[in-house]
Amino acid sequence: MRMKKTLAVTVTALLAMLAMSSCGSDDDNTPQSGGPAKADIRVWLNGADTPQEARDWLKTTFEDQNPGSTLTIEEQQWEGLVERLTTALTSESETPDVVEVGNTQAPTFTSAGAFSDLTSALPDLGGDDLLQGFVDGATADGKTYAVPYYAGSKYVFYRKDLFAAAGLTVPTTTDEFVQTAIALKQANPSPANFSGFWLPGQDWRNGVTFVWNDGGDLAVDDNGTWQGSLSSPESIAGLKTVQQLFQQASGAPKDGNEADPQTPFCNNEIGMMSAPGWVTGLIQDPDTGCPDMMKNVGVFAMPGADGSPAPVLLGGSDIAISAKSPNQDLAQKAVALMLSDDYQSILAANGLTPAKTSLASQLGTDEFAQATIAAATNAKLTPAAPGWATVEGSRILEDLFVDIAKGGDVEKLAKAADDRMSQELG
Amino acid sequence: MTTSGPSRPNRPGSLLPLGLLVPAVAALALALGYPLVRQVILSLQEFGLAQQFGKPAEWVGLQNYRDLVADPYLWKVVVRSVVFCLVNAALTLVLGVGVALLMRQMSKPIRILVQSGLLLAWAMPVLAALTVWQWLFDTQYGIVNWLLTHLGPDFAGHSWLLEPLSFFFVATVIVVWMSVPFVAFTVYAALTQVPEDLIEAAELDGAGPWQRLRAVILPTVRPVLLVVALLQVIWDLRVFTQIYVLQKAGGVTRDTNLLGTYIYRLGIGGGDFGTAAAVAIFMLVLTVVLTAPYVRMMLRQEDAA
Amino acid sequence: MSKRVSRSSRTMANLAGIVVFLLCVFPVYWMVNTSLLTRREIRSPDPTWTPLGGTLDNYRRVFEGGQFLDALRTSLMVTLATVVVALAFAFLAAVAVARFRFRGRRSFVVALLLIQMIPVEGLFISQYKMLESMQLLNTVLGLTIVYVASVLPFTVWTLRGFVAGVPYELEEAAMMDGCSRFQAFFKVTFPLLAPGLVATGVFGFIQAWNEFTLAVVVMTSDQKKTLPVWLSTFTDVNRGTDWGAVMAGSTLIAIPVVVFFLIVQGRMVSGLTAGAVKG
Repeated sequence: MRMKKTLAVTVTALLAMLAMSSCGSDDDNTPQSGGPAKADIRVWLNGADTPQEARDWLKTTFEDQNPGSTLTIEEQQWEGLVERLTTALTSESETPDVVEVGNTQAPTFTSAGAFSDLTSALPDLGGDDLLQGFVDGATADGKTYAVPYYAGSKYVFYRKDLFAAAGLTVPTTTDEFVQTAIALKQANPSPANFSGFWLPGQDWRNGVTFVWNDGGDLAVDDNGTWQGSLSSPESIAGLKTVQQLFQQASGAPKDGNEADPQTPFCNNEIGMMSAPGWVTGLIQDPDTGCPDMMKNVGVFAMPGADGSPAPVLLGGSDIAISAKSPNQDLAQKAVALMLSDDYQSILAANGLTPAKTSLASQLGTDEFAQATIAAATNAKLTPAAPGWATVEGSRILEDLFVDIAKGGDVEKLAKAADDRMSQELG
Repeated sequence: MTTSGPSRPNRPGSLLPLGLLVPAVAALALALGYPLVRQVILSLQEFGLAQQFGKPAEWVGLQNYRDLVADPYLWKVVVRSVVFCLVNAALTLVLGVGVALLMRQMSKPIRILVQSGLLLAWAMPVLAALTVWQWLFDTQYGIVNWLLTHLGPDFAGHSWLLEPLSFFFVATVIVVWMSVPFVAFTVYAALTQVPEDLIEAAELDGAGPWQRLRAVILPTVRPVLLVVALLQVIWDLRVFTQIYVLQKAGGVTRDTNLLGTYIYRLGIGGGDFGTAAAVAIFMLVLTVVLTAPYVRMMLRQEDAA
Repeated sequence: MSKRVSRSSRTMANLAGIVVFLLCVFPVYWMVNTSLLTRREIRSPDPTWTPLGGTLDNYRRVFEGGQFLDALRTSLMVTLATVVVALAFAFLAAVAVARFRFRGRRSFVVALLLIQMIPVEGLFISQYKMLESMQLLNTVLGLTIVYVASVLPFTVWTLRGFVAGVPYELEEAAMMDGCSRFQAFFKVTFPLLAPGLVATGVFGFIQAWNEFTLAVVVMTSDQKKTLPVWLSTFTDVNRGTDWGAVMAGSTLIAIPVVVFFLIVQGRMVSGLTAGAVKG
């Protein structure tokens, strides 16, 4: 218990340091401002991620603080979101005032001028306390156009009973993790598709951990031009580990995706898997999962090469103000409320990693919260290249990982993927 | 007598036919006029997301087209798409017309049953249809693998999407399943126009079923058949959703891209609307080239009538 | 089509028909079946073949949001307006090109084909801008205009085939009996077009009913979503898709199409009666 608390404190401190180590910009921009004192502010939130409690709080508080104005939350879907933003944000009459956008989608829109400049408001919104990687991703030419909303990182679910039966313990380094995964697969010959570590072929988002872990990266900024760097020796080493996992530890389909992991997990086909925290809820729900199994489920943050948590890919959302919105001032007030400690604490209580590092402890103290916090300490984002969305759109990485899962020559495949990535980013 | 004889009874210079066209032309011009002109303009510009948000666009002349045609991968995708299109359109037509002809022979209750079945398949929301098909061919829990394994061969864990040929087989099954109802339905409606007495007369003259089909039935339904076939070719050339969804489920994207998904990933996915517009126009030209002989035939028939 | 068909060939046709029916319907059955299962049963290694002992929970969840009825209303209005307007406009145009010879006729016919060939996927942004300038975003009218244009070419071409399929001699005969040209057309030719109107009407209905790409960008406000856009609210990449709800929603979406068809299907039988063409 005390250990956990210490960990939480350390982690918070680490996050804070991480946040401070990066540099802010001190361009003195005149903020885009103006708009009427009273208006109806429309906020687009995506999917069901934002809990109802937070929505209610936002609406009530905003309307209390701005008498005469109203705030309407319009729920949008992730499906078709880019198309909808591409059109709606250009329309002065139809544009929402505040939008949530996926953190990997943000750079595309920020470099296009779809969002208002928030640089001067940044200190008030949380400043260095904000998740710095998100801020960097939304910054172009020294100006910041979006701020983090919440984040989510994955951690490892494992089966305590299977570990005990095979005489295994929770791994503390990457090497141990790989060995444990292989041993677990060997100890469970049936069913044939059993996974010591479940890794479907398309799942580069989990696979990239091993690339980063060995010091490699997806793409690097080479004097202003982004280039693929999967064929660097470090990346190759990581990709070879991935291939080893594919071939010796995973029973997942070689070309499958990572959707619905609770299904094979509840079918006793998985010893370990790396999944987002909300999967816990799916396993606990008798309609979707197998509540009986929960007593055998443990979690830990993926261990890195040196024993500290491994770098995992951080997902999440940004919020931004539409540049075409006529209500800039009021919209900014709404954004400020969404980044307030009160609001972010509600998100944290619902299992979302808050946008402010100082609030990480709000996630709670149980095993799952600990794993979330630990995983977040070393989390990384996809490269902040303006053209990154194109790389994801053309599915270069999915193709690469499927080919690696099929047993292809890692060096050759990585080289080809680099060429394609450089072409898209250049 | 001839079955179709739109003799032309109007006095020259009559304004009536032009008047009849006004509503349709107006609707088309209203909904498509500006978008089409803009599409052509975009294809001559460097137009990305920044331009979408107000940055002035730069004219690049035919550069978008030059880049496109110079990409060897595009031609690979073109060949793949044309083959896929022809195979699917042919299969759909043969099956659709076959079902339509069969429906003539059925007793009424069965015919309504079949029509309802076709309609259900046609009306099933695309999201549900694609999800169900994806499940049927699922690697781990798919019914197809389950059935095959229970019948003998070991298909447990077989991935249907991993190899491109197998991927396109699954795609063909889905595309054909989704398109046959439209063909069967429309052609059957056309078949109801074939005069019974003509068929009886032909039968009395000793014509066999095949001859009756060729000499009496097909000429009557030809106009509709030609439109349906043309539409099928157009649709199958730009098939998108089915491929897009299957690529998410499995397989290697680069080996399975068809024109539809390629344009999407190039344009909307990457926010390069200039290039996307150029590809769209390129596809239009490709469609025209591919269907030119066919359209000429339609027009000839039009004049002969 | 009665006496001509021999008993044995009818039996064969009926058997083949049942096979066709089963092939068509199996995925539909699977959708309905899934809509009655729990999420756990939906993705399980041993398929659950029948929904016996199933649950209505999925339907309850689908209705919970309260948006279904709004979406149903929007979809019905857009779709019915599209079908009626498209059929009316296309019918007039089809008569013009099938029954008259005039300057520009051939260009019109070719233009329709070309329009049909334009890839529409990239057009949605331009169409959005157009609707924006006409202040028709989030309106039934705006969406209807675009849908009408997208089904018109096919509808004109197909109806043209049907009009051409009715021998002009029939009208001439009626005119000799003292009918005016319009009377002759509406008394003789029009009833024979019923199957064509039904077939193209069903086509337009299904196109408008299931369209997603344009609807998702044009209809953004909660009360104006069409059914396919509403359906997509149950897919969630971040939280895992609620497949039971998707299938329940899809089943609900498919029902009105079948109802529409059952209403109009009586018109689908042959209009030409024996003896009518002896001319």
